[in-house]
Amino acid sequence: MEVKLHDIGEGMHEAEILHYFVEPGQNVKNDEPLVEIQTDKMTAELTAPADGVVEELRFHIGDVVEVGTTILSLRTDDYEETQTMIVQREQKQPMKTGASSTSTKPYNNENPHKRVQASPHTRRVAREQGVNIEEVTGSGPSGRITDEDIYQFLKAPSKPVSEKSTEEAQPKEQEERKFVPFRGRRKQIAKKMVKSLHTAPHVTHFDEVMMSDLLDLKQQLKQEGTSISVAAFFIKAIQMSLEEHAIFNSKLNEEQERIELEPHFNIGLATDTEEGLIVPVIKNVEDKSIELIHKEMKELTAKAKENQLSAKELSGGTFTMSNVGPLGSTGATPILNYPETGLIAFHKTKRMPVVVNEEIVIRDVMNISFIFDHRVADGAKAATFVNRFIDYIHHPSKMLVKLV
Amino acid sequence: MTTVAAQVKKLTMIQAITDAMKTMMKEDDSVLILGEDVGINGGVFRATEGLIEEFGDERVVDTPLAESGIVGTSVGLAVNGFKPICEMQFFGFIYPAFNQLITHATRMRQRSLGRYTVPMVIRAPYGAGVKAPEIHSDSVEALFTHIPGLKVVTPSNPYDAKGLLIASIEDPDPVLFIEPMRCYRTGRTQVPDEKYAVELGKAATVKEGTDVTILTWGAMVQDTVKAVEKWEAGKDASCEIIDLRTLYPLDKETIRKSVEKTGRAVVVHEAPETGGVSGDVISLINDAAFFYLKAPVQKVTGFDTPVPVYSLELDYLPSAQKIIHAVEQTLQY
Repeated sequence: MEVKLHDIGEGMHEAEILHYFVEPGQNVKNDEPLVEIQTDKMTAELTAPADGVVEELRFHIGDVVEVGTTILSLRTDDYEETQTMIVQREQKQPMKTGASSTSTKPYNNENPHKRVQASPHTRRVAREQGVNIEEVTGSGPSGRITDEDIYQFLKAPSKPVSEKSTEEAQPKEQEERKFVPFRGRRKQIAKKMVKSLHTAPHVTHFDEVMMSDLLDLKQQLKQEGTSISVAAFFIKAIQMSLEEHAIFNSKLNEEQERIELEPHFNIGLATDTEEGLIVPVIKNVEDKSIELIHKEMKELTAKAKENQLSAKELSGGTFTMSNVGPLGSTGATPILNYPETGLIAFHKTKRMPVVVNEEIVIRDVMNISFIFDHRVADGAKAATFVNRFIDYIHHPSKMLVKLV
Repeated sequence: MTTVAAQVKKLTMIQAITDAMKTMMKEDDSVLILGEDVGINGGVFRATEGLIEEFGDERVVDTPLAESGIVGTSVGLAVNGFKPICEMQFFGFIYPAFNQLITHATRMRQRSLGRYTVPMVIRAPYGAGVKAPEIHSDSVEALFTHIPGLKVVTPSNPYDAKGLLIASIEDPDPVLFIEPMRCYRTGRTQVPDEKYAVELGKAATVKEGTDVTILTWGAMVQDTVKAVEKWEAGKDASCEIIDLRTLYPLDKETIRKSVEKTGRAVVVHEAPETGGVSGDVISLINDAAFFYLKAPVQKVTGFDTPVPVYSLELDYLPSAQKIIHAVEQTLQY
């Protein structure tokens, strides 16, 4: 029996072999872990589909394997059962080529490449011009790429030149250049960002918020033995503001011509990890206390650093929060976590002189950048939403009275 | 003045066809005609009128009403040195002779390893639009383009009719020469008096254009020209119209060059859609000019039904509106 890499979620198409739990000749029981893999977003274990003996490990640790490829083979006692299972698998994925061949690309519908719509003529023009047609955005009916799009793409300042001319342009002494592989999570992030920026017209709304009252409250709680991070208050305040301005907790469905308001408030936390940005999600924030939010947030960020997030913990977000303050920054224009409509970024809190009641006083001031999809909402709405959020942070007690 | 008049005449298609046969019979004693009522009566459409008087009843033979006999006899004559031209009264009457055509006429060259060929021509009037009874109007050219060894030729104007028929008579292999009835008397063109041939297997560019290639044949050529000329007035786009003339073998080069130029193609025929020659034309375009295509190739055809009763015939034939619709579809793709 061949154990193949199957799509374990969200249309992944390849994974890296991290670790084998078994070795050839070893007996395994049904559901026992066989191999640990790393996808663009998470690590996962593949388990044995039946009792048997491990025959062969087909890859080395560190190899990148495509979905549909056989990772290892098992010898099972129940031959007939094995046969039917293989048949079932093959029926599910009828286009796949020889299981043992690792060089042949499996041809399947989960193909990660963009489905390019272009007439043969346009494809020829692209080829002749040295343009990778997958990088071109189409302006024709239902996004079809036209000849014009290719020429426009060539005119664009950041045109990717054909391989040949790239080589010519490189001076010879640069042969010792170092390369960072552009795949896995990095590539996934790149793809998502391009898609988001090309789809949603981004607008950034800036504001500032005085943190003094919230920091006082945090301090007070700490003295009483309850340590809750500022971010947990932010998350609650975001959710409360979103409830009043539901338009920012939505996604635009252009095909159906409607803005879909999300029934729950699932706040994604943009988290920096070794492999790059990742966004675990706190689900149903509306049902959770600030204390519980704090607890879940700590767990999720710890898991993110350890690369142990499950697909479930990474999906279902309706709004994203990015807290770059601790790293230092006074403003940014991040990219939306498409298809979400809004993203709020928090920056460094600085002690600054501010005018309060005609007097100059020292306050803790933090800049906010709120990014939204201008197709869905306009600047005025964004301003009222951010004002509401600021109000909650200025007066944390207002949150208290609204808590369930 | 008199000399010019003697060299060129304005003829209808049926007159041009008579002229072609007369020219060849004068020149070559082995050319003879077989068919029902082709002698004394001069043929159902008068294509052989006057030929029995000029060449006698040994060369213009009135046969019994038996199409398999006409074709079968012609195969025997052709193998033995004659060049028979047989007339089917209507294309739809050829079905009884199907067996002779397929099992004998088209296989003789291969079966005898090239020792014998069958230099015969079968003429058959075809096509809807003249309100004839059932079986008289069928456009079943695709049944025959599928048979290796049989050339299928159809003219769309008097000049081509004479030149193509002469080339067909001179061809060493069997040629099915189908004549669009609708064109028999619908116009006259200048036809040279002398003998000339229009090469088989060569399409004609009826009208040059830059944006869409329309490929058609037979009576649909004139319909297409009319439809397009009306549509083009006040449009930026222009259509290139190609009369395929020979449906087997197709003129790959002309088709390829035109589609490479325009990047778009529409095939128009009055025969039913399924299994029609349009399928071959489109497949040829795919093979030869795929990377020039800006839109999928469209086809405008008759319906998958027998040609209906006369009152509905005009609804069956591809209308100008349908042709233009297809042209616009491919332009807007």
